[in-house]
Amino acid sequence: MRVYRDEQKATQLRINILMWGIVVTFFFLAGSFWYVQAVQADRFRELSESNALRAVPIRAKRGLILDRNGKILADNQPAYTLMLMRPDVRQMEKSEPGHSAKLLQFLSEALQIPVEELERRIGASKVPINQPMPLAEDLTMVQVAEVESHTLEFPAIRIEPVQRRNYRYGTMAAHVLGYIGEATEKDMEQDPTLKLADLVGKKGVELVYDKVLRGIDGTRYEVVDTHGRTLSEYSAARREPIAGRNVHLTLDFDLQRRAEQYFLDNEMVGAAVALDPRNGEILAMVSSPAFNPNVYSRRFTPDVWKTILSNPFKIEVNRAIKGGYSPGSVFKIVMGMAGFEYGVINPSTTFHCAGSASFFGRRFRCWRAQGHGDMNFERAIKVSCDIYFYNVGALLGVDRIAEYARKLTFGERTKIDLEGEISGLVPSTEWAETKQNRKWYQSETISVAIGQGPLVVTVLQTANMMAAIANGNQVMRPHVLEEIHEVRDEKLIARQVVEPEVLHEISLEPDALAAMREGLWKVVNELGGTGRNARVEGLDVCGKTGTVQVIAQSGRKQELPFKYKDHAWFASFAPKDEPEMVVVVFVEHGGGGGSDAAPLAKELFAAKFGQGSNLDRIDLSDPETLRKLREGALPQPGQPTQGR
Amino acid sequence: MLARTSSSVRSLPTRTLFRLDLNFIGTALILAAIGCMAVYSATWFQGTPHFQRQIVWCMVGIALMVLFIVLDYHVYLDASMILYGLCMALLVYLVIWGKVTANVRSWIHIGAFQFQPSEFMKIFTALVLAKYFESNDSPYLNFRSFMMIVLIIGAPVALIIIQPDFGTAASFFPLIAAAMYFGGIRARYWLVALLIVAIAIPSAWLLFLEPYQKERIMIFLDPERDPLGSGYQVTQAKIAIGSGGLFGKGFKEGTQARLEYLPAKHTDFIFAVIGEEWGFVGVVVVLGLFLFLILQAFFISKQARDRSGTFLVIALISFFVFHIIINVAMQIGLLPTTGIPLPLISYGGSSTMMFFIAIGLIANVDFRKYVNA
Repeated sequence: MRVYRDEQKATQLRINILMWGIVVTFFFLAGSFWYVQAVQADRFRELSESNALRAVPIRAKRGLILDRNGKILADNQPAYTLMLMRPDVRQMEKSEPGHSAKLLQFLSEALQIPVEELERRIGASKVPINQPMPLAEDLTMVQVAEVESHTLEFPAIRIEPVQRRNYRYGTMAAHVLGYIGEATEKDMEQDPTLKLADLVGKKGVELVYDKVLRGIDGTRYEVVDTHGRTLSEYSAARREPIAGRNVHLTLDFDLQRRAEQYFLDNEMVGAAVALDPRNGEILAMVSSPAFNPNVYSRRFTPDVWKTILSNPFKIEVNRAIKGGYSPGSVFKIVMGMAGFEYGVINPSTTFHCAGSASFFGRRFRCWRAQGHGDMNFERAIKVSCDIYFYNVGALLGVDRIAEYARKLTFGERTKIDLEGEISGLVPSTEWAETKQNRKWYQSETISVAIGQGPLVVTVLQTANMMAAIANGNQVMRPHVLEEIHEVRDEKLIARQVVEPEVLHEISLEPDALAAMREGLWKVVNELGGTGRNARVEGLDVCGKTGTVQVIAQSGRKQELPFKYKDHAWFASFAPKDEPEMVVVVFVEHGGGGGSDAAPLAKELFAAKFGQGSNLDRIDLSDPETLRKLREGALPQPGQPTQGR
Repeated sequence: MLARTSSSVRSLPTRTLFRLDLNFIGTALILAAIGCMAVYSATWFQGTPHFQRQIVWCMVGIALMVLFIVLDYHVYLDASMILYGLCMALLVYLVIWGKVTANVRSWIHIGAFQFQPSEFMKIFTALVLAKYFESNDSPYLNFRSFMMIVLIIGAPVALIIIQPDFGTAASFFPLIAAAMYFGGIRARYWLVALLIVAIAIPSAWLLFLEPYQKERIMIFLDPERDPLGSGYQVTQAKIAIGSGGLFGKGFKEGTQARLEYLPAKHTDFIFAVIGEEWGFVGVVVVLGLFLFLILQAFFISKQARDRSGTFLVIALISFFVFHIIINVAMQIGLLPTTGIPLPLISYGGSSTMMFFIAIGLIANVDFRKYVNA
């Protein structure tokens, strides 16, 4: 059916209908507002007075740190923090003058913190004024009860249950684990998800894998009245936190604690690294003396900080990657490899040692004044003959030495997943010209040939070099992370595994490699070798000692004061044919490499391969040992070590 | 009236300014002034330059309004396809190369200046449709013209959905409704339209939408899903309005807004600030001014010289009606919360400019209602 209508009439009609519809809608809206603003006004006025939501973060549980066998090294413990709501103090002060002084007095007595210290903390806090501010940490149950019983009187304070980072074994692996602390403004600039008063990793694994460990904080919304008092929780809005992921390290708890115990027992300063040459996994990394990360991870510890920073042994420095040392005779291994590589020597090349020799117009002495006689490579390594390696150095020249050393990660970072690694120094003619603005003297090459001169290496680089000989052809990237586990409700839901990474390939001829390993084997296992203290019954340990002079050789008859004593090196791997572990030990002012550093290597090999070890000696269930570990008892260097 | 050729009206007639309907423009300016005051009251305590900026937006808007009065609206109608085309090009550009701002590629950045072409597209689409109705005068739309209208509106809407900015895409809805209602639709086309919607929504849900977009839509349908977003906002807005009572707490005295309990207080929830500070009286005054503005526009549309003028005014005023009703209703929870601003009052550059242009065009149609002026 089609009815003709004038289009204008149709349009006018439609417009009129629309207009009236809109008028009705507007009146309906106005009526609704009347209902809200006149009929219900009183109810809403009350609500507006007692209405506010306060967002309180629910901290996410930080991920665990575990060793390679799943032993927990760092976890979280329930603890209590005292929170202060500063606007509420101001509110109370208005209605009751003198309230804040009374509150501080009460807290000072309850927590045994001087009033001035509390005032200092309040003044120094960077938490926004409308957010609860942490005022004291780690309250005891007695303190919690005391504060809780006064919350009616002092509405501005509140006890908050928190998860506190706990390093179960105190100083153990402290330099690898690192510690956490309050986020600084710089941290927040780099990561906008961070809030003030958040705890973040500051050193070590805690720092490097902070994002993995941290998790995502949740939020709780509290309904508070105009006085800031909490009325209830607005649970519909609650966002649950997501716990951080667990970090499984490559560290072996047993090896780690044995190595640390060695330094503790002998009161030595130094570092040691044990790693798997097949994949670069760090099995143990010790820096002694150590600190207790439990102390660092607290908020209010100014006095402890001072003690740590003023400690003359720089306990916060991870000596294994940040300590730069002269490699001494250990560098002879690099000389040998470079010599083979560039064809200046072969395994049967011999040099005669007469106790001293002349190079580039200067006379250089062997450590054995009467000389070693005719030396081939194996024997030269075994007795650590200086003259042999002077010759290799003179034939190679410093630039070829430098080129090869760099391949073994000397002079560059090993890219380990820990912060603050130094690159060390490998001198070359270019280095002398660009960095030193001088000419390189060829006689300096002779010093470099026995690991003296401007060479600076780290313990980790040395271990990495040993790993290359142990596995025969690869320089691996060392790493402490083994796996990352994402666990929800006790169930593993995601897992990331670290793959080995090759930094450089080296290509040693099989006979050269065999000669190298044979020489290193003789160091430990043959009569007259310098590393006999590392010998393990039934295991073929290969190694090289190093003793770095701190002062000149003349007049060294008497016992030297600590700071002038020699540094001791021992670099080793075992078993000889299919090596599974590299151990490098460095003892600052320890005396001799064979006497002071080698015994630890022996201990670790024995423990790892389960042969003839004095397993009973170290017992972490012994309260005395545990106490020493926990307190971070510092060695008192300078006293003679017991007969090593 | 329809016999008139457009060439005879294109030259700018010499008219005196007093012919301009000052009631209409005056109402709009009063609303904008109330808006500036409300923005000031909602933000003065936080030290942000929102108030100053809103003044600047209003100035720019008034300048644009004057520009859209001075030239005969037939000039804009004739240029509408070009403007529409240019704006389509910008939208295509955004879809392909646009910078993502807040999950959405709807902003064009020119130096420090940025704007949303989609806001201006609303005006241009209205102009193109008005131009189309100039030559279509049957009481009902036939299938061909129905499809033309769908195409004219559908093309920009599709591009805006891809951005993806659903709020803006949805605000084209009044244009569709106005076109269909004004053009006249037979029952079978309503069926076709419903069918298209019934197919498009589930397929978009399954094929194109990102999870966060789905979440937004779910929240739209069920505010309790996001109690701190929409649900919380509505609760807080209602408390603000209700506690204002009949006469309000007074200018700058609103506590809800100042204590930060009221989110989006200077943009989408500005009306709650007015309700809290000026009470029911303020609400009625603002609603009254809006109604006055709308009714005047309807009279203008009835008296318009030609069918395109009539439709242009209807289309533009439908934007006002849509924004006002949705925004005001959501303040007290009558409709779900959406990011739809209150015309001329909410803080914001693009929307302020857009609504001033619309005011200008409506005044333009009014100004030129007499054929032989």
